[in-house]
Amino acid sequence: MIWIIVAAVTVIVVIGALVLNARQRRVNDGVDSFRRQIDALSPEARRPVIDQVQKQTDADDTVDETHDAQDDPDGA
Amino acid sequence: MARDLAIDLGTANTLVYMKGRGIVLNEPSVIALNRQTGEVLATGREAWQMIGRTPGYIVAVRPLRGGAITDFEITERMIRLLLQRVGVSRFTRPKVVICVPSAITEVERRAVTDAARRAGAADANLIEQPMAAAIGADLPIDEPVGNMVIDIGGGTSETAVISLGGIVALEAVRVGSFDIDAAIQNYIRREHGIAVGERTAEEIKMAIGSADPTPQESQAEVRGRDLMTGLPKTVILTPEEIRYAIEDVVSSIVASVVRCLSKAPPELSQDFLVRGMYLVGGGGLLRGLAARIERETEVPVRMSNVPLEAVVLGAGHVIEHYDALKGMFMGARR
Repeated sequence: MIWIIVAAVTVIVVIGALVLNARQRRVNDGVDSFRRQIDALSPEARRPVIDQVQKQTDADDTVDETHDAQDDPDGA
Repeated sequence: MARDLAIDLGTANTLVYMKGRGIVLNEPSVIALNRQTGEVLATGREAWQMIGRTPGYIVAVRPLRGGAITDFEITERMIRLLLQRVGVSRFTRPKVVICVPSAITEVERRAVTDAARRAGAADANLIEQPMAAAIGADLPIDEPVGNMVIDIGGGTSETAVISLGGIVALEAVRVGSFDIDAAIQNYIRREHGIAVGERTAEEIKMAIGSADPTPQESQAEVRGRDLMTGLPKTVILTPEEIRYAIEDVVSSIVASVVRCLSKAPPELSQDFLVRGMYLVGGGGLLRGLAARIERETEVPVRMSNVPLEAVVLGAGHVIEHYDALKGMFMGARR
């Protein structure tokens, strides 16, 4: 009889520990994912995308200037 | 394996950002069809040039109005053709993030995602335009400070207060730069008795249109069809006339900005006085609009460095950091 009680208590303790662990992990997941989102929105993280487009814009401007110069060889 | 894409599916223009490559497509959201066979004849810039100049059997249409799909089938075909142009095929199905106005309904959202999936996307998620605009305009939305962005597109104008990566207050009206063009068309028809096309109205807006008096204003000579005689006729328009013609549309945009400001929590409101509001979108380029908003709200208004590309750049950033930022998708659990 005593063994049944011990086994039942052990099972309850183990289940309780697992539930608490899962809940803690969920809390940490929320913190982690929010932190990841904020980090991904930082100016440093955004820099490569902005720079990439800036390079494209600069390249387009250079092409336009070259075309303008070809259209107007006197530069007038 | 296809590279993932971010799409700014605007009423006026569609821009596509490819992961790792940058902006790969920037074309008007127009499609030209054979009215009899339903066959697609042109899309993008080529179709735009046909607006108002087509023979009876061709129709050049904008399948989006007010940021929403008005013709599902045509939109799907347009998206499919645009995706094909950037290398998407039946065998390469990318993940796609699409920017849409925050005010669209659940049915409209589903229509956009379904159109993208049918057009070849493996997975399609939506992001609110003001949020994408704030990311693309390089505003410090990762900080606990008030960032205000005003996005004036072809069919919608949206104002949002953003802090810590989320929208705090939002105000959207289904009024945009196409309504300004329509107001100019109506005014010329009513006051001068001549009919002008959509493209001419847009050219007038760009030449002499303004929301507030500006220095060095000039007049414009406009040619159209006399409604009485049916003959071509020329009239001279002044900037004052155009301001009068578009006043209702401009007032409605400014009123929505004021409403958004009034919704913002006081702690964030004080940040706007220092940091100002940021104007993005093609409609934001209307002369005097920033000054008009600044005058009526008493808050500084600044123009973004990339007004036309801000939204797609923001969505592009999301596609570059897909896993970290997927919580920002519309309908995602925050």
